[in-house]
This record gives sequence, C-alpha cells and structure tokens, in this order.
Amino acid sequence: MNNDTIIVFIVLFAVFTALGFLASRFRRGEGKRLDEWALAGRKLGMYLAWFLVGGDLYTAYTFIAVPSAMYAAGSIYMFATPYVMSTFAVALVVMTSLWKISKRKNYFTAVDFVRDKFNSRTLAVLIAATGIVAELPYIALQIVGMQAVLQVMIAPYFAGTTLFDVETVALILSFTILAAFTFWSGLRGAALTAVMKDAIILTSVIVVVIAVPLSVTGGFHHAFQVAQASGKAAGSYMTLSPALTNAFISLFVLSALALYLYPHAINGVLGSKDAKSVRYSTAMLPLYGVGLFLLTLFGVLIYIVPKALSAVVAGGSGGGALVVPELIVNTMPAWFAGFAFLGIFIGGLVPAAIMAISQANLLTRNIIREFRPNFEEKLEHNIARWASVGFIFLALGFVYLIPHTYAISLQLLGGILITQTLPPIMIGLYTKWLDKNALIGGWFVGIITGVYFVEAANHFGAPTKSLMASPFGLLYVAAIALLLNFVVVIVWSAVSNALGKNPATEKEAEKA
Amino acid sequence: MDNRYLIAGFLLVIPTIVLLIVPMYNRVNPELFGLPFFYWFQGIWLFLAAIMYVIAAKLITQKEEEAEAA
Repeated sequence: MNNDTIIVFIVLFAVFTALGFLASRFRRGEGKRLDEWALAGRKLGMYLAWFLVGGDLYTAYTFIAVPSAMYAAGSIYMFATPYVMSTFAVALVVMTSLWKISKRKNYFTAVDFVRDKFNSRTLAVLIAATGIVAELPYIALQIVGMQAVLQVMIAPYFAGTTLFDVETVALILSFTILAAFTFWSGLRGAALTAVMKDAIILTSVIVVVIAVPLSVTGGFHHAFQVAQASGKAAGSYMTLSPALTNAFISLFVLSALALYLYPHAINGVLGSKDAKSVRYSTAMLPLYGVGLFLLTLFGVLIYIVPKALSAVVAGGSGGGALVVPELIVNTMPAWFAGFAFLGIFIGGLVPAAIMAISQANLLTRNIIREFRPNFEEKLEHNIARWASVGFIFLALGFVYLIPHTYAISLQLLGGILITQTLPPIMIGLYTKWLDKNALIGGWFVGIITGVYFVEAANHFGAPTKSLMASPFGLLYVAAIALLLNFVVVIVWSAVSNALGKNPATEKEAEKA
Repeated sequence: MDNRYLIAGFLLVIPTIVLLIVPMYNRVNPELFGLPFFYWFQGIWLFLAAIMYVIAAKLITQKEEEAEAA
C-alpha cells in the first residue's frame, strides 16, 4: 500500500460530501417538512427503488461483520445468505400491504399504522421505543465497519509511534464524521447522495468479489482445506456441524423476519411510487445477495493470503473486522483499494445516518407528539437533529461492548428486540382479531425473556453470544422470545374476543 | 378455478422451505469452483429465488389489476 490509497479515498470522500451538501442547499425549500424528505415524496419507480434498496443492503454488516464471523467461527454464519433470500419473500407480501395502507391513510412510519389500527397510545410508544433501542447496536456495527477501514488505511502512518493508538484514532474519526454528516446533511443529504453512494458501493463490490478471489493463488478448494485444518472453529468450515442445524435455521428465519421491522428499512419501502414497484423491486433483490454470499466467503479466503491473515491475527480479539479491508489492501492496486475503502466507509456512514434519523423521527413524531400534539415544527426539527447525534453517541457505548470480530452479535442483539414488534406490525396488517392489551402483554414477555435469555447465555457479561441452549439444541434467542410473545398474544386475544372485550371486533359485531 | 394467488404463494415459500431442509445440502461433494456443496447450493438459490419471486409478483399484480378493472 502506498499514498495512492489514502489520496484516492480523501479526494473521493471530499467530492461525495461536497455533492451531498450542495445538493441539499440547491433543493432547499422544496419540501419543508422533515417527513417529505424521509419518503422522497413516494416517487421512486421500480428500477430506482431496486437500485437504492439494494445498495442499502451493503452495509458494514455485509462488508465487515459477516466475513469476520465466518473467519472466526465458520459455516454457521453462512446463514446470512438464506436470510437475505427469505427476507425479500416476507417483504414482497408484507411491505406491499403496508405501502397500500400507508398511502391511503398517509402514514409515515409503521408506528403510525399501529397507533391508528389499535388505537393505543401505550402500544404505539412501546413499538417506537423498541425501534429506537434496537437501532443502537445496529448503528454501532456501522461504526465498527467505518473504523476497520480507517484503521487499515492509516496504520502505516502510525507505525513506530506509541503516542497514539491507531484503533482509537480511527474510532474517533469515524464517530466524528458520522455525527457531523448526520447533523448537517439530514435525510435530505443522505437521500440525495444515495445514487452516487450506491454506484460507488456496487462498483467496488463487483470488482472486489471477482478480482480478489482471482488474484489469490490456490482458489477456494485450497482455502477451505487450510481453514478446516486451522482448527480455529473446531473444523466447521467445509460443512455445518449437525449440532448447529437448528441454530442455523433459527438465525436465518428470525433475521429474515426482523429486517423489515427496522424503522430505517420501512422508510425506504414507503418511498416507492406504487405497490407494483414495491413488489417487483423486492422480487429482484435476492440478486444483490450474491455480493453478500461472495463476501462471506472472504472469511475463508483470508486463510490463504498470509500477509492479510497475519494482520488479522495481529488484530487480536477485534482482528476479524479487518478481514475484507486487509484482503483488499493485499491483493488490489493501491488506488483501487482507496476506491473500495470509500465504498465500505460510506456503506457504513450513510446507513448509520439514516438509522439515527429514523430514530429521531420516531422520537419526535411517535413519542413526543403523542404527549404534546401541538408542538412547533421548527422545534420538532431541532429536537430531531440533536437527538440523532445523541443516538449516535449512545450507539458508541455498544462499540465498546463487544470484541469487533463478533460485531455481528450487535445486529443479532438488535434483532432480538425488533422481532418483538412483529405481532402488531406484520400480523396486525391482516387481522382485527388481535387485542391491543394482548399485544402489550406479549411485547413485555418477549422483551423481558429475550433480554434475560441473552444475558444468561453470556453469563451476564458482554453479549457476544445470541444463541441459547434449548431442548432442540442451540437456538437464536429471538426465536424463543418471539414464540413466548406469540403465546401470550394468541391466548389473551382468544380470551378477550370470547368475552367480547376486544373493541375492534366488537365494533364489527355491532355493525353486522 | 383461478389459482394464481395460491401459485404465487408457493413460489414465494419454496426457496425458504428448500433451504430449511439443511441435512439435504449439508455436505462437501460435489464441489463447484472449489466450493463445498453446502455453500454453492445456497448461492444458486439466490438466483432461483429471484426468478420465482418475479413470477409471483407478476401473478399477484395481474390478479390485482383484473380485480380493479372489474
């Protein structure tokens, strides 16, 4: 690596931020309301929606967390591929329904829908709060990704100095850039730079997943042999250990159910022009999973690139996060590494900003407004702005919580919480049978058991594991918590409907 | 009888059901491009799923448009 890498990175990053900033000034005044920008005026067509949502798939989860986990623990983390495949089948059905009702009733968040459907302030506030908290570890994961890229890039300039710790410098830079970007650009900037961001990311993904494997001597067959022989993950690279079958299944199914419950994911869908574009663009999305699939394999490929492997090993408990950046630096021309690094960096930056802004929107729109319906729009805007920065700061706490090799645990942790909002959002779209108090009860049971099980699985220490022992072998905690949540919701709703206490079905009965 | 919704439903769940049957593909051979079967089999399903989902989307949209026209 020479100076070309960092020069290309800095120049392109300057162009990227300048364009975002200019674009947001240029179009100022077109939409005064925060939420108009949030949904891009519901104007996205099929191909643009496909392009944008697809680009959003390539976050630090894909670039950093999955390859890292694959490198350290092997085949169980292949669950990410069936996860993205299945999540779009769920989205194709559920998100089209949500889009239709949102268009008709002018909803901007899933919480708007829950609030209106179940006419319960308590339930709406609980769902909004869950969305806000569940995004925090997901943002932390993005910060880990940004940090990993910067760390690999600036490390040579810190060689020989003990004055600064390169990891800390990279973290401070990442956090500061993210906070500044979120505060100044807002959703406006994030949305307007989306096309450029996705073009950079997708170009670097395509080149990296093709060129890196080709430039490595030995090929995948050899890489798998070496990984298997490394003894690192008890020889579980070639296939999945049968004892982990149910763990694999529960991780992939629950992750697939979780993705579209996140406030930031729903935001993107509601921006589409019509239900048809939602449906078709979602149908084509599994194709983007091919990049994720190949990047997952980088966690195995690293074993036959000795220079990259030794850098990862030297990284200690956080070294896994460096798998993809180190592979790029050690196999690609320096200038291209700069380009690819920018792709990974903004692949963390922009989604993290969008997540923080969706949190802020939930806070102002679905929580504060719930208690102070008349508060000024300008004040709302200011609170949202500062809150988004505050949330990024809170997310930073999670960055320290987990060794970065297991950054994927951050996303799995968020998944345990966010899946508890599935009954009111996804089931609520199709039936009036659910009782609002049953949903509140189910939520409490799901959240409390989820948090308890995950803490117990980690012996009440840092939550690096999200699997728990069960009669069916290891299972993802979210599966058990959601199951308990459902039991409460169903039994309670059945009783309340039988007693005629569910206001929603009662109204129906009166009409009939 | 018009089964288009039913067919669309099948097309949407088949990829997931196939990959739920882990023991079926949890093996090394045959390899493809040096990848164990466990890996490339899952990779292939990304393409198959996209094709099946698009057909499902087409069926649902057709049916909806007919319902609107009627």
